[in-house]
Amino acid sequence: MKPFAARILGPAVLVLLLLAGCATRPPADDPEALQEFRENNDPFEPANRAMFEVNEAIDKAVLQPIAEAYRDLLPKPVRSGIRNVLGNLRTPTILTGDLLQGNLTRARETLGRFIVNSTIGIGGIVDVGRRYDVHGHSEDMGQTLAVWGVGEGFYIFVPLLGPSTARDLVGFGIDIYTNPQSMIGQGQILDVWNYTRIGMTVVDTREALLEPFDMVRKTSLDPYATLRSAYRQRRAFEIQNTESPGGAVAPAGGVGFGQGVMEPK
Amino acid sequence: MARVLMSRRLLLTGFAGLASFPARAQSMDISRATAFVNKAGQDLVTAINDPRLNLTQRRDKVASILRTAIDIEGTGRFILGRYVRQASPAELQDYLKLFDEIIIRNLSARFGEYRGVKFSLGRSQQRTEEDALVSTLIERPNSPSFTLDWRVAEINGQPRVVDVIAEGTSLRLTTRSEYAAVIQRNNGRVASLLDAMRGQIAQLAAREGG
Repeated sequence: MKPFAARILGPAVLVLLLLAGCATRPPADDPEALQEFRENNDPFEPANRAMFEVNEAIDKAVLQPIAEAYRDLLPKPVRSGIRNVLGNLRTPTILTGDLLQGNLTRARETLGRFIVNSTIGIGGIVDVGRRYDVHGHSEDMGQTLAVWGVGEGFYIFVPLLGPSTARDLVGFGIDIYTNPQSMIGQGQILDVWNYTRIGMTVVDTREALLEPFDMVRKTSLDPYATLRSAYRQRRAFEIQNTESPGGAVAPAGGVGFGQGVMEPK
Repeated sequence: MARVLMSRRLLLTGFAGLASFPARAQSMDISRATAFVNKAGQDLVTAINDPRLNLTQRRDKVASILRTAIDIEGTGRFILGRYVRQASPAELQDYLKLFDEIIIRNLSARFGEYRGVKFSLGRSQQRTEEDALVSTLIERPNSPSFTLDWRVAEINGQPRVVDVIAEGTSLRLTTRSEYAAVIQRNNGRVASLLDAMRGQIAQLAAREGG
């Protein structure tokens, strides 16, 4: 299945970048401003801000109401089960990341969790591993590239996917194309399955971010800049594998909003 | 290797930030920092869960505890960053006053809602020569628990909180980006940040109903 993101968003992003132009580089006689400009590493800031506004509009009209309805309509155990299943389905991506980063301890945890949660945990609905204190963690190709020494590259905001960087976006693409679930044959049932999985991931992620997003919108004088900074910090934290135990497995990078995904409220 | 590079870069960034201000912070003793966070945290939890206080009283109590626990001036200066020197003395004075009000209002509104909150110390670790990072676990009824790390520095002989870090995201770094963006987008005028801060305080006050 060709992902929606690659088919439509990719070209749209490029066109927007070209249309909106680039951020102005500060003059060379202001070294502090120049350093800040480099640290932000957001050469397409005007275009990114435009896309951020597009995303805000879509989010307020569609995504946020859906996420709120999802929380209101489904009881917590059901949402917990869905989040656990989605996390379990991300095993191939996480395990690949563990192995490519040469982290055998984490790879063993990921594999053990998958086996136990898929069987005793009834197809991943129950996170049995957590009860034995083997907590899930996030891993994705963006993180692996970072561990291999690839710099994060410029910042980019993609509507519906959220904040990302050149490196994380490439990693996200690799994750999609190497996911076994998008490789095993084709057919209508598989398509429906994949769209359901992607759709549920979006709703589940947005539901987890209801409070953090409210908070940013309410308290930030510049939500775009706040999100940009929070995303980078959160990614650095994930790359160093220092997530605190207890959080559920966050969706693979690219879609990460720079926030940890917790147990449902 | 990359992990080492990454942490070194983070460290360097931290030092660069500190270097631009007078070195008021002395080295921080980890057990002293932990005891300080524990005391401030227990005081906060007691105030938040006190059944005799109404919402306004609770907020006031929380605000007064926060005022003694946080190094508001130092944090405010850190967040304003290089614009500290570009601001006029009057602007800087206004900024620190507005920053004090915003941070206290935001934090006490947030903590004030945490009825039934429980707080416990997590693993502690010394981070740099300058300050200590104390990790805590926040638990609320019917809510997922989360960790909060408190960066504590020795300010004029007293331990004070200089940053709060939630799941890897530092409040002072995020706020520094936010404020810098506001100034940059208004032709580098510090006064425009002050206007935006005044607007935000008015909004916060309207939401709190007073």
